[in-house]
Amino acid sequence: MRDFLAGTSRSRVTLGFSPSETASFVFSLKQPLFARLREELAKDAAALAEEMWAATVLLDKLGLHTTEVFQQGREEVIKRQQLELLELSTPVVKIWEGILVLPLIGTLDSARTQVVMENLLQNIVDTGSDIAIIDITGVPTVDTLVAQHLLKTVSAAKLMGAQCIISGIRPQIAQTMVHLGVAFGDVVTKASLFDALAFAFRQIGVVISKQQTRS
Amino acid sequence: MSVTKSEVLRLQASEDIVRVRQAVRAWMVERGFSLVDQTKMVTAASELARNAVDHGGGGTMRMEALVDGGRRGIRLVFEDHGPGIPDMALAMQDGFSTGGGLGLGLGGAKRLVNEFAIHSQPGEGTRIAVTRWR
Amino acid sequence: MDRIPILKLGDFLLVTIQVDMHDRLVMTLQDDLTARVVQDKATGVLIDISSLEMVDSFIGRMLGNIAAMTRALGAEAVVVGMRPAVAITIVELGLSLHDVRTALNVDKGMEMLRTLVEAPAGEDGHERHEK
Repeated sequence: MRDFLAGTSRSRVTLGFSPSETASFVFSLKQPLFARLREELAKDAAALAEEMWAATVLLDKLGLHTTEVFQQGREEVIKRQQLELLELSTPVVKIWEGILVLPLIGTLDSARTQVVMENLLQNIVDTGSDIAIIDITGVPTVDTLVAQHLLKTVSAAKLMGAQCIISGIRPQIAQTMVHLGVAFGDVVTKASLFDALAFAFRQIGVVISKQQTRS
Repeated sequence: MSVTKSEVLRLQASEDIVRVRQAVRAWMVERGFSLVDQTKMVTAASELARNAVDHGGGGTMRMEALVDGGRRGIRLVFEDHGPGIPDMALAMQDGFSTGGGLGLGLGGAKRLVNEFAIHSQPGEGTRIAVTRWR
Repeated sequence: MDRIPILKLGDFLLVTIQVDMHDRLVMTLQDDLTARVVQDKATGVLIDISSLEMVDSFIGRMLGNIAAMTRALGAEAVVVGMRPAVAITIVELGLSLHDVRTALNVDKGMEMLRTLVEAPAGEDGHERHEK
């Protein structure tokens, strides 16, 4: 019965019914049901009252169930949209064969950073890249949790056989990191994306040379 | 908080560890956990199941589906009647790198879950409950 | 008794792990692989874990052991195809695989083996630089 109602609730949502309308539909069953009960138990007032109460309780529960399902559905839509928004706002760019750049913009929170990092690692696998540059030039502050996620991502990439470097570390961020006791160890970090890119090219053995102009 | 589903698996041989992994994975998938969360829980379960089999002389794992307000979770309770853990601090230390040794990997397993509760007395066995929430 | 198949690719051996391994299978793989390195005079071993949905401390130790044993036998080992979720979990677990070389996929793994195997004759085999 619950499954049937859940299905009904969902199909009605797509048809444009509001949750109250769907619930009302369930509640409207009371009238015919009571009428029927009155017919059958006309002689027995006590039994009639009891059955009517039982019917009311049952229908109320079923009606509420439809609204609950509706609510759950909404929450899932919101979650999905949040994820999509996240993916849109942090694109991973394949800047060269074997080099990915992830330009992070804005304030990072722990949850967002985690999702973004997982996405980056999957991207590394999908593109077969050797190096991923996480650029935090556009990030005003980095707290310990976010720093830890960044470092874990670097370690995870290394385990997978790729290299992750961090660029755009401003003096303030560097100071904060040191004060917070965050150990950067053997993580390659560069002050600018420019430096990071130059490093990346060297790593994969790409040499950029200027063409001689004819005079 | 309520338990909506529960299942008990025995932990006697190494094949049971594989069964535990598969069962935990199936439940995590069914309850909609993310891939990374699934992997973390399955790995923690593998570690704890192995401890029960190798150090605890065998035992059981009870898997429970939890509902607490709006959130859903999965709890795994590992129980054995083995020798117990004499030095909890030592057991919680990381000791993976060279293999063998006293590192039971409990510290690592703890990091993979949201809630970690351990009860162990020498001679009484060990009971470890780990939970992950969605 | 089930075994994990080991393929010969020229001078290299390729192992593709596709099943959820129970502990005995893990030990058997270790034994089989080291035996084959000697038997086939292999100079490199490629372990493809792209199908593994989980690597716990036991399997992690196996990978470390295989790496060490093949090195002792004068060959090189590379583990390829680690999934992101697995890598993230290993980092969180605190499992150290620093003595295991890794590559993103079989192609890159082969490339790495070829470079390692063609190393100058001066290398004596037990002092390795970090990858």
